[in-house]
Amino acid sequence: MGLSKDRIRFNVGGRIFETTSTTLANAGRGSFFGALFDENWNLSQPGDEEEEDLFIDRNPDCFAVLLDLLRTGDLNIPPNIPERLLHKEAMFYGLIDHLRTAKWGPFDGNRLRLSRSVTGIAPGDGTAIRAGPDGGCCVAHGSVVHVFDWMLEEHPTINLDYQRVNDVGWINSGNIVLSACERLGRGDGGMGLFSSSSGELRYKFQVSHDNQVKSYSAGALSFSPDSKIFTSCKGRSNEYGIGVWDQITGKQVDFFYESPGWSLGDADKLQWLNGKNCLLVATLFPRKDNCYISLLDFRDKNMVWSWSDIGSPATADEKRVRDAIAMEESNSICVVNEFEDLGFIDLRMDGGGSSVRWSSRSRLMKSKMPDEPCYPKLALHEGQLFSSMNDSISVFCGSDWVLTSRLKRSYGGSICDFSIGGDRLFALHSEENVFDVWETLPPPVI
Amino acid sequence: MEQKILVRDQESSSSPSSSFFFFYLCSSTFKNLFTEAKNTIPNPNPIIPLSPVSKMSNQKKRNFQIEAFKHRVVVDPKYADKTWQILERAIHQIYNQDASGLSFEELYRNAYNMVLHKFGEKLYSGFIATMTAHLKEKSKLIEAAQGGSFLEELNKKWNEHNKALEMIRDILMYMDRTYIESTKKTHVHPMGLNLWRDNVVHFPKIHTRLLNTLLDLVQKERTGEVIDRGLMRNVIKMFMDLGESVYQEDFEKPFLEASSEFYKVESQEFIESCDCGDYLKKAEKRLTEEIDRVAHYLDPKSEEKITSVVEKEMIANHMQRLVHMENSGLVNMLLNDKYEDLGRMYNLFRRVTNGLLTVRDVMTSHLREMGKQLVTDPEKSKDPVEYVQRLLDERDKYDKVINTAFGNDKTFQNALNSSFEYFINLNARSPEFISLFVDDKLRKGLKGITDVDVEVILDKVMMLFRYLQEKDVFEKYYKQHLAKRLLSGKTVSDDAERSLIVKLKTECGYQFTSKLEGMFTDMKTSEDTMRGFYGSHPELSEGPTLIVQVLTTGSWPTQPAVPCNLPAEVSVLCEKFRSYYLGTHTGRRLSWQTNMGTADIKAVFGKGQKHELNVSTFQMCVLMLFNNSDRLSYKEIEQATEIPAPDLKRCLQSLACVKGKNVIKKEPMSKDIGEEDSFFVNDKFTSKFYKVKIGTVVAQKETEPEKQETRQRVEEDRKPQIEAAIVRIMKSRKILDHNNIIAEVTKQLQPRFLANPTEIKKRIESLIERDFLERDSTDRKLYRYLA
Repeated sequence: MGLSKDRIRFNVGGRIFETTSTTLANAGRGSFFGALFDENWNLSQPGDEEEEDLFIDRNPDCFAVLLDLLRTGDLNIPPNIPERLLHKEAMFYGLIDHLRTAKWGPFDGNRLRLSRSVTGIAPGDGTAIRAGPDGGCCVAHGSVVHVFDWMLEEHPTINLDYQRVNDVGWINSGNIVLSACERLGRGDGGMGLFSSSSGELRYKFQVSHDNQVKSYSAGALSFSPDSKIFTSCKGRSNEYGIGVWDQITGKQVDFFYESPGWSLGDADKLQWLNGKNCLLVATLFPRKDNCYISLLDFRDKNMVWSWSDIGSPATADEKRVRDAIAMEESNSICVVNEFEDLGFIDLRMDGGGSSVRWSSRSRLMKSKMPDEPCYPKLALHEGQLFSSMNDSISVFCGSDWVLTSRLKRSYGGSICDFSIGGDRLFALHSEENVFDVWETLPPPVI
Repeated sequence: MEQKILVRDQESSSSPSSSFFFFYLCSSTFKNLFTEAKNTIPNPNPIIPLSPVSKMSNQKKRNFQIEAFKHRVVVDPKYADKTWQILERAIHQIYNQDASGLSFEELYRNAYNMVLHKFGEKLYSGFIATMTAHLKEKSKLIEAAQGGSFLEELNKKWNEHNKALEMIRDILMYMDRTYIESTKKTHVHPMGLNLWRDNVVHFPKIHTRLLNTLLDLVQKERTGEVIDRGLMRNVIKMFMDLGESVYQEDFEKPFLEASSEFYKVESQEFIESCDCGDYLKKAEKRLTEEIDRVAHYLDPKSEEKITSVVEKEMIANHMQRLVHMENSGLVNMLLNDKYEDLGRMYNLFRRVTNGLLTVRDVMTSHLREMGKQLVTDPEKSKDPVEYVQRLLDERDKYDKVINTAFGNDKTFQNALNSSFEYFINLNARSPEFISLFVDDKLRKGLKGITDVDVEVILDKVMMLFRYLQEKDVFEKYYKQHLAKRLLSGKTVSDDAERSLIVKLKTECGYQFTSKLEGMFTDMKTSEDTMRGFYGSHPELSEGPTLIVQVLTTGSWPTQPAVPCNLPAEVSVLCEKFRSYYLGTHTGRRLSWQTNMGTADIKAVFGKGQKHELNVSTFQMCVLMLFNNSDRLSYKEIEQATEIPAPDLKRCLQSLACVKGKNVIKKEPMSKDIGEEDSFFVNDKFTSKFYKVKIGTVVAQKETEPEKQETRQRVEEDRKPQIEAAIVRIMKSRKILDHNNIIAEVTKQLQPRFLANPTEIKKRIESLIERDFLERDSTDRKLYRYLA
């Protein structure tokens, strides 16, 4: 017969394809092909007298692309195939996860390429952009949050009657937590859990002081791997501090009240440090006149480390700290000022006073400032440090944080926020309502 | 999909009422799915608005209109029903095992289309309803199965359901992934299991019947019948597949309750009819049976639960009764060396809380009782060697018990050690006896034994030594006995002696043995000294030979030198040695320890019998007197020799009263020596041996006053040690209160002896008097170190 038992012929929408069952086995049991070849469905065995092609009533062009995906693991989309159509076909065959993993490679800040720019329809400046765990993202604008999946299809908007969204974060690919200001006299605001696919409110996190539920404004968010949510809270009766909730039960499990003269409830940035089992809380200029950075240990309600620029002499450069990020490997906190100077504070020495070690070689932008500057932001991903300034993002590597790459696009104005997750980097611009998606190039052929 | 709209008479038509619109749908699929669009929009613009529009009343006024293709595509209302019917039919076929004609591709596509066209809800609820109907039917069939075939039928239907569920899940895969995911409904597979649970397992007529059948089978197996374990496993597996809670609620919990009841009854029966050993055997068997059962057809997680039921019912509830069982309990097992039973008891009792504690407590109290009897029975402590040997035997025995039966359990070893420590110290003479035991072994007992065996015996002795609280008392005795061995040359093996000293050294430190080692050095030096003495006095080769052992004061257990008049021949020699020795070593003082010496003298008796008599120095002094007179009274002898009365009496007794060795006679003949007795040479003395050893009547054990004396000496020796300890502690602490001093001193001296608190207090007072310490002026309980 010439046909080995392994060979399979498909007639897809009128076109004949020939492949092998081993190639199709790459699709896995949870796919169309996996079920098709399961012994439950006694498919006419190859070799039976009149061999009939297996007919599938689908688009042959997309099938060709997906078959190649199963054969090589690479995704090559011819220009004549709309991406949406391909996604739809992949959904039909149950190959959408294959497609996603083939689309972009493991994240490397030095091998990024601009994949797409997505223009939003929301007016006004963006507040925050957050990458989801599976390649999606959400963008907060004023009091709404736009959610995009990894195919960059927009899902129903999370639109609350809340005053203003301060921060958003992904619990997992299906759930988003949102923190918002409280509107006077309405008792709303606070923090809620939303479905990323439908935009519905699933749960509202409440805060209690002395066993009494109180309304509050929620600020920056952070999550720990042991399923806790942290947010900076401002209550009506001066109940300022950091609230802690359990993601699973939704119950408030802790509250760290701020002490007089030290700001926690106004914090702009929270970061959970897994190794130290501490939460970094940073309250930065201009929300307050001074910068406060502290590490909180919730087990014994202790501020284990703190730093402030109170009393440090205002130098000519006016080096105000604009963002901070803790780097556990090097036991330090990286800070950035509005000239994109990176500074480092040693975590092993407590307080440290004004012991920011500014690294002047990163001073790059001082000469030309755009009309509408944005404050710089920092991010850390697997030993690479990212810093946004105006319309570009710089990538620093190595123990001395050498500048290795710069991500820049010609339009859109300054970058007001960016986020790394799901092996993608999202950058939100402030002048135009547009965000960029940066992906890592697939590994070379050889 | 593309569409063409043909417009006729667009410009020219004058009739307001007649306008014709045609449209074709040039799409190959879904042709039948579109409803006819109504021409409602009076819009001449060929561009078609996509938004829904309102009806216009004035349409007649417009002539040329393009009918907008109204994009609100309404799918054939029957479409969903039709598609669902296809799928429903397929589900029926799958359940009836008639699926060979089905096309997976077609079914999958249909299910996909339903979801795509927003009929997910219909598909989902349809699938549930169809499956429920099938399962209801099946449960009726299962229920109808008679007797033994019930389980088989259930199992068969369960397997069919599983296969069908798998196929249905394949068909509904797209729904599973999209519709169910986004609506957070239960996925197809778990839903299928839930439906089986609710409609079959929890079906009232099946639910209890199933449970009872299973429990009956277990019961049958327990009473020895063979059951179909494979079927059992499959059915139990069904419970596990349905979820942990189903397995636990519907099977495990009742199973454990039934088991508990069963073992409660059975254990009661056993304990009435069996002795402890048999009972334990049966319990062990039951336990392995249950573990076996879990391995064969239950969830591995049940093992811990069912074994704990057996443990509770069969062991924990009868623990006390088993251990104390008359004639077969723990004590009996120990007495009769029933290692196997003991091992079983250990292994079973360790499974329950406080089980081993109970065993250990009973063993400890038995050991203490037994040991107490052993050490306090005056009969048994008559012979020190046997006494110690008995202790060693007991220890060996229990070592073996713990080793073979109790898995070398550390807590049992500790219990053994503490018991021994407890009862060995009940008898104040234990240190002496142990030393005597060693003495016996090193004197003669070790002859012909290999070095390895010597080591073993010595190690065992060391074990007993460790139990002693008054190690310094042992040291005292050991020193005495070692001195005797060394001076009389009776020690058998120098290596063995040294080996023991090394052991003592590792046990108690350098201090403990330094004096003992000094004794060995003295022996060696004395040999050299004697060689030098005779080398420098060649004229002494004639006449009596004097061998002197120079003992360092302090190293040896010397008694105060007893004055004694040596015979002239000997005292001349002694003087010569003295001047030789003091000539070579300046600044030393020699005093003679005549009470410790021996002499070999030649004697000729009445009929010319010649013998060499081996006697003590005292005896020699007495015998030499008879060279000058035939008959001497006690008083005369005492005067001439100046030997202290008790020693003299003992010495005369051994010369005159021991049968076969009575080289002198006394008048009157009696066992004891009186002050008025008189003595003369026994001319008729005979002996088969040329050399005759005249022993001294000395009890190997100490006499009562001697014991008191040793005791006193020990107490005396402790004083400086206690004081040293106090000073050491105070030097580092500077200030300390009374109770703490007592505690620390006791702790520091523990390796040597148990210090008496009143004695410590006396020592503190003595130290205060001597200005080493002072009491705090405010708090009288505080002591202060005075540097």
